[in-house]
Amino acid sequence: MKTIDPVTLATPFFILTVILEIVLARFGKLKATYETSDTAVSLTMGLISSLAGLLTAGASFAAAMWIYQHRLFTIPMTAVWAWIAVFLLEDLTYYWFHRLSHERRFWWAAHVNHHSSQHYNLSTALRQTWTGGLAGTWALWLPLSLIGFPPAMVAIQKGVSLVYQYWIHTEAIRRLPKPFEAVLNTPSHHRVHHARNPRYLDSNYAGILIVWDRMFGTFQPELDEEACRYGLVHNLGTFNIVRVAFHEWIGIVQDIVRQPRHILGWLFGPPGWSPDGSRDTSASLKAQWAARQGAPPTVPAKDAV
Amino acid sequence: MNALLIQFAVSAVAVALMVALAAWGTRGRARPALDEATARRWLADEFPGRAIDGLWLASDGKGAIAKSGDDALVLSRMGVGYAARRVAWVKAEAATVKDGRVRIPLADVAAPRAVLAMAAWPPKEFSA
Repeated sequence: MKTIDPVTLATPFFILTVILEIVLARFGKLKATYETSDTAVSLTMGLISSLAGLLTAGASFAAAMWIYQHRLFTIPMTAVWAWIAVFLLEDLTYYWFHRLSHERRFWWAAHVNHHSSQHYNLSTALRQTWTGGLAGTWALWLPLSLIGFPPAMVAIQKGVSLVYQYWIHTEAIRRLPKPFEAVLNTPSHHRVHHARNPRYLDSNYAGILIVWDRMFGTFQPELDEEACRYGLVHNLGTFNIVRVAFHEWIGIVQDIVRQPRHILGWLFGPPGWSPDGSRDTSASLKAQWAARQGAPPTVPAKDAV
Repeated sequence: MNALLIQFAVSAVAVALMVALAAWGTRGRARPALDEATARRWLADEFPGRAIDGLWLASDGKGAIAKSGDDALVLSRMGVGYAARRVAWVKAEAATVKDGRVRIPLADVAAPRAVLAMAAWPPKEFSA
């Protein structure tokens, strides 16, 4: 079956818009901060990610095809209602995939590199995982094939979602008109998702529709009084791309070797979990932040060098 | 397979172009040296609630080491911001100095070490 890959089709658009953002920022025409090493890491991560994805693409597509052979219904790719349905269900699946990728360390290890830049620009969108396929999160989309959506249809919609999420990685767009902010994942909502401010942690997991976050209680609006500071709770101290890609996996292995009887906690606890509670999770950081209200303000964005 | 290789090669060239453009885009952008007030704000933000017993700035303004009880709080410039890590003070105190730079192992695969320009280390007032 001949199909299309929205991501491949959009690649020239990715390249042109990154160039445009850099040039316009250079001349002060829009808000964007780039840094050479950071951009190199982001774009190289993206480039190699496209190869790494091939390692598991065959297996995941074969699994989807096998499931599809045992489908409950037969859904035609030519029906408009089927595309509306796959749009909604794929986006719902993405929400839970993304939430899992933040709230359980095993999957966070595959996703963390996407959040490891201290910048938020279009190149950050391309800082993609090398290990997502190995982490097996593609299995979350298999129920769509079981329902009866052709695997090619699901793959196309996944690509559409990925392309949609590209353009929201920017500081150049402040807010969209309210109706769009209410329904769609926007640059503003996604800036919050990439922020390391305690109050912003673990929020706005949406792919295309922000309504899932509103429904499941993870929505957090961007607040004018608290500028987003980007990156990880413990920012990386290196631009070494291998460390960027694998540091959390290595951390998991080190923790398991040190305390093997806590293997389940180390693997599937929330990021920052430790048996003695000596480390911070997003939940504990948020609780500490809430308790500190009234304390001196945090580092203003202008102090970032 | 050929199409894939061509696509990858073209993408690699595009990546090189964009990185070069980013270098041009940021050329001449000054990064102020870390001063005490900014260092204290960063420390307060990264390690909220921690009292600072002593603070030493790197002579090139690219980081700082603070003593907080039995811990050393280390700031090391990373791009536009700082990587912050906490290590035992005794380990920081025992860090090796070479060519005017103190090298503090941070025991973290994501930030293996901080290398900070310090005229003298460890500070006399806190030396064991």
